[in-house]
Amino acid sequence: MLNKENIQEEVERTLLSLEGIKRAGANPFLFTRITAKMQDRNGWERITSFISRPVVVVSALLIVLAVNSWAVFGSGTATLAREKESVAVTDIADEYNLAANANYDYENIPNE
Amino acid sequence: MTTETELIEQLKRGNEAAFKTIVEQWKDLVFNTVLGIVQNETEAEDLTQDVFIKVFENISSFKGQSKFSTWLYRIATRTALDHLRSRKRKKRFGSVFSMMGNAKNESDELPDFQHPGVSLDNKERSKILFKAISRLPENQKAAFILNKMEGLSYREISEVLNTTVSAVESLISRANGNLRKQMEEYYRNQ
Repeated sequence: MLNKENIQEEVERTLLSLEGIKRAGANPFLFTRITAKMQDRNGWERITSFISRPVVVVSALLIVLAVNSWAVFGSGTATLAREKESVAVTDIADEYNLAANANYDYENIPNE
Repeated sequence: MTTETELIEQLKRGNEAAFKTIVEQWKDLVFNTVLGIVQNETEAEDLTQDVFIKVFENISSFKGQSKFSTWLYRIATRTALDHLRSRKRKKRFGSVFSMMGNAKNESDELPDFQHPGVSLDNKERSKILFKAISRLPENQKAAFILNKMEGLSYREISEVLNTTVSAVESLISRANGNLRKQMEEYYRNQ
């Protein structure tokens, strides 16, 4: 274990370890990489800047609302129409005894 | 030979050749500054590219009231410090996940950093010093790196950091005090 004097000496020497430090050299192909990155960013920037335009945002919202409204209210109307149609079909079937199960009700065939 | 002013004017007009010349002339300055702050060569390379992209995109805002190198140092320092903050946030986020058992635990400590420009006989000591530098508060770190690694005077540093010379003196004094304290503890435990 180091004594107090040694510790101070080590600290001073370590603090001086950056004396005469040379500048680190950047990648020699840095400019090529920069231009490639800028081209990539331009592509994404165009997309994001288009999407973030207020007109585009509002239009997208309206479309989503319209689709949702059709899904909620439009499908309700279709169900009602289908139900009405189903009732009409059932009425006709009953009147002419055309219900599917009537042909298989062998146990209850009246004796003629 | 094109002067710096002419180069900047050409860059403002979007001249690619001027941009290339500026990159070639100043890339080591930017890389070395960023590297000293982030202490990772891969990240420093990436950030250096970002710095020059910012230079290209914002050159019209450079009015020539300060030296071009001062402006470059400012962008480089801010970009590097922003990156450190982002790295810290990701680490914090990661440790929240690791508490939930969703991610493997990562060490809080950075790996030892070896600056390529340090002399051979100082390599081991410089690793200890850089570790201590990584724990300094942001402003102290920036001031210390600009002074020790880029050789900037206190006045130049004050222009980069947009502060007073006496504030820079205080930052470097406090940085030295913090570094000493850390290293005393390190050597006491050896």
